Amino acid sequence: MHPPKLSGPLDDYNHAPFFCELMRDGLQRDSALEQIRNRLRNLDIATLVARATDAEIELFNQGITFTVYSDKDAIDRILPFDVLPRIITAKEWSTLENGVIQRVRALNSFLWDIYHDQKILRDGVIPKRLVLGNANFRDEMQGLNPPCKTYMHINGIDLVRDRKGEFCVLEDNGRSPSGVSYVVENRHLMQRAFPDLMRGVKIRSVSNYGEMLMAKLSEVAPPRSDNPSIVLLSPGVYNSAYFEHVFLAREMGVPLVEGRDLVVEDDHVFMRTLAGLEPVDVIYRRINDDFLDPEVFNKESMLGVAGLMRASHKGHVTLANAVGTGVADDKAVYAYVPAIIRYYLSEEPILRNVETHICGTPDGLSYTLDHLGELVVKPVGESGGYGIVIGPKASAAELEQCRRQIEANPGNFISQPMIDLSVCPTLVDGKVEPRHVDLRPYAITGRDTWVLPGGLTRVALKRGSIIVNSSQGGGTKDTWVLEEETT
Amino acid sequence: MSLLARYAENLFWLARYIERASSLAGIIETHMAYDRARAEDVSWAWLVTLHSDQEKFASLYADTSFKNVLKFYMADINNPGSVRFTLRAARENARALRATIPSEMWVQLNEFYNRFLVISDADLDPIRLSRTCSQIKHGCCAQLGVADSTLYRGEGWRFFLLGLMIERADQTSRLLDVKFAQLKTNATNQVADAVFWSLILRSAAAYQTYHRIEQRGPDPNRVARFLLVNPHHPRSINYCLRQIQFMLNELCSDFQLLQVSSAQTRSMAMIEILQQAAGDQYLVANLHGTNDEIQRGLMALTNDLATSFFGYSETAQASQSQSQA
Repeated sequence: MHPPKLSGPLDDYNHAPFFCELMRDGLQRDSALEQIRNRLRNLDIATLVARATDAEIELFNQGITFTVYSDKDAIDRILPFDVLPRIITAKEWSTLENGVIQRVRALNSFLWDIYHDQKILRDGVIPKRLVLGNANFRDEMQGLNPPCKTYMHINGIDLVRDRKGEFCVLEDNGRSPSGVSYVVENRHLMQRAFPDLMRGVKIRSVSNYGEMLMAKLSEVAPPRSDNPSIVLLSPGVYNSAYFEHVFLAREMGVPLVEGRDLVVEDDHVFMRTLAGLEPVDVIYRRINDDFLDPEVFNKESMLGVAGLMRASHKGHVTLANAVGTGVADDKAVYAYVPAIIRYYLSEEPILRNVETHICGTPDGLSYTLDHLGELVVKPVGESGGYGIVIGPKASAAELEQCRRQIEANPGNFISQPMIDLSVCPTLVDGKVEPRHVDLRPYAITGRDTWVLPGGLTRVALKRGSIIVNSSQGGGTKDTWVLEEETT
Repeated sequence: MSLLARYAENLFWLARYIERASSLAGIIETHMAYDRARAEDVSWAWLVTLHSDQEKFASLYADTSFKNVLKFYMADINNPGSVRFTLRAARENARALRATIPSEMWVQLNEFYNRFLVISDADLDPIRLSRTCSQIKHGCCAQLGVADSTLYRGEGWRFFLLGLMIERADQTSRLLDVKFAQLKTNATNQVADAVFWSLILRSAAAYQTYHRIEQRGPDPNRVARFLLVNPHHPRSINYCLRQIQFMLNELCSDFQLLQVSSAQTRSMAMIEILQQAAGDQYLVANLHGTNDEIQRGLMALTNDLATSFFGYSETAQASQSQSQA
C-alpha cells in the first residue's frame, strides 16, 4: 500500500505568463532536468520548510552573513537563501560560457585600447565623450601595461532571460563584482541539506573557484616572480562583503590584508609580518579605485596604501582588477558593447544586449521621454538597484519626477524596454510560488578566461518584483549547471 | 612566509579575551555557589574594587547590590570588563582571523556568542546564575580546546598561548587580591577565613588538587604559595610564566624571531620576583604589593610584544591593550 500522498510543493504552482526555469515550456526535453523535477514534486512541503529553516540557522552559525552596524551593536544577517535550485542545462551553459568569454575578451581589448592608442575613439565606433568624459576613466592608467593585457581579471555579467527563454546581458560588472562566495557556500549547503535530491544527478562542481583564481592571478604576476606572493586586500571587518573576502582568501590560501598591513618602499609593495617586511606581487583588491591610493585618488582614504599606483606603474605589482575598469562596465558604454565585440574580434556577439536608449543622445532622449510609461529608466552611475524607475509599475507622480530628473541631466540616464524576467519556483511563507530571477556567472582572466560552471542566481522574493538586488529584498539560490549527457 | 603581524596580535587578544571571560564567570560562579552564608542582599562591592571599576560603576548604577554588580559584569556592554564586552571583543578578533584560523574555531565561537547574546535578566537571577556562568565557562573552554586540536603550530599558536598565559597569570593574581579588595570594602572581614580561601581555590580550579598535594586545610599562606609558585598547577602564576618563557624561546629558536629578547628578560625577572615573594614569611601580609608588581609586569610584557611585533612604539598604547587596565 502506498502512503497517502502529502501536498507536493509543485501541486499549485503556476508560472504563467513567464518563462519558468524548471518547467521550460516549449524547450527541448532534458532527461536530467525531468528527474530533478520529479524528485521535487515528490518532496513534501513540510519537509521542505523544515530543511529550509535548518539551512538558514546553519548559515547564521557559520557566519555566512553580512553585518549591519547600529550605534550600539553589530547585527549579523544572512542573505535569504531559497532551497529550490535553479537549473541550467549543458547545452545552455555552453552558449553562456562562450558568450561570457567573448565579452570579457572584447572588454579587455577595449580597455587596453582606450588607455593606449584610443583607435576605437578615432574610428568613431563609440563617442569620445562617453569614454573620456566618464568619471571612471582614469588618466593615471594611460600607458600602463598590465601583464597579459588583462584589466578585468574578475568579471561578473548580469544575465536575464526573457519570456521566450532567451538569455541577454543586462549589465557588465568589471569592478570587483561580489557574490561568488555564495555560489560555493550555497552548493555546500545544498549538499548537506538535500543529499536525496542531488543523488545521482550530474552537476558540475563549483568547488575549485579558489584554486582557479589563484592560478589565474599567478599568470598575471610581474614577470620576475616565479612563485608570486598574492594577497587579498579588504577594507576590513566592517565592510558588508567581509565574509566574501574571508572566503576568497581562505580558498586561495593567501593572507587577507588591510591597507595598514601593506607598505610601499622604493616602488615595491610589502606586507608587515612578524619577521619584517615581505614582498607582495599580486593584490586582489576589494577596495574601490577612489580609496586605493591616497597619493593619487581620494586623499582622505584610510583604507588604501600610499604608493600603490607608483608600484603598479613600474610593473612591480599587479592590481586585480586594474584601476579604471569602471569605464567599461558603465551603463551607457554597455550599449556599445556589441559594437566593441565586432570592432576588436570581428565576431558577432553570442549574447545579445537589451535594447538601450542613451538619454545623452537626442534620439535616445526623445524616445525615452515619449515612451516613459513602457520603459525601465536607470541612472548611469548607480549600482545595487538604486534609483531604477520601472515605467509600467510606476505611479503618474513617479513618472513625472523621473521625467524632470532626465530633463535636468540627460547624460546621467539610460532606458531599456521592460524585460519579463524568467521565474523559478521559490519557497515563500510555506508555499511554492514563481519568483523572478537573474544569473551572474563569474569569469576569471589571466592569460585566458575561465568561467565558473555555475553562477549566482538572485531571486526577487517580493511577489511581482523584478529587482533582485540583496539591498532591495533579494535572495539567492543554488545554481546547478548539468553535465553533458554521455550517450 | 612569516605570519602577518596583525594576525599574531589578533590571536594574542583572542586568547586573552576568552580567558578573561572564563575567569570572570568562574569567580562569580564560585562566589554564588559556595558562599551561601553571604546572602544576595550582601554587597558585591568587592568585585568592583577588585577590578578598580569604582568610578565607572558609580556613574552607571545607584548602588552595589548583587543585581547591579552582576548586570555590570555580565551583560553591560558599556563595561569593557564585562563578559558581554569581552566575548564580543574575542569574536571581533576571531572575525579578523577568519581567513587564517580553522573554521572550527570560528564556528564554535560564533555559535557560543550568538547563544550568549540572547541571555536575559532571568539568566542572571541567582536561581539560574550558576548555570549561566558554567555555560560561559564551557563555551570558553571549548574554544581553547578547538584551538588546541586544530590550530596550526606556527608562530600564531605561540602568540595565542602567550595571550592565554599572560591573561591567566593576571587573573590568578587578581584572584589572590580578592581578600584585599574585601578588606578594603568591609573592615570586619577576616584574613584567616577558611571558607574564603577554599573559595579562592575553587575559583582557580585548584580545590581538589590543593587538598591532594598539600593534605591539609586551606591556610592562607599555603593557598597563596600554591597559586603563586606551584610548578604544575596550570593556573599558578609560576606555571604561566614558565609557559610564557617556553613560547618566547620557541619563537626565537624555531622561527628566528630575535625580537623576543626584551620579553624574555622581563619574564625571567618576574619569575625571580615570584620566588622571592614565595620565600617571604609575611607572604599574605605583603600579597597585595606582590600582586601589584606581577600585574604591572604582565602589562609591561604585553607592551614588549606590542613594540617588538605588533608595530606599536614604546609610548603609543596598543588600542586593545587599553582595556587590560
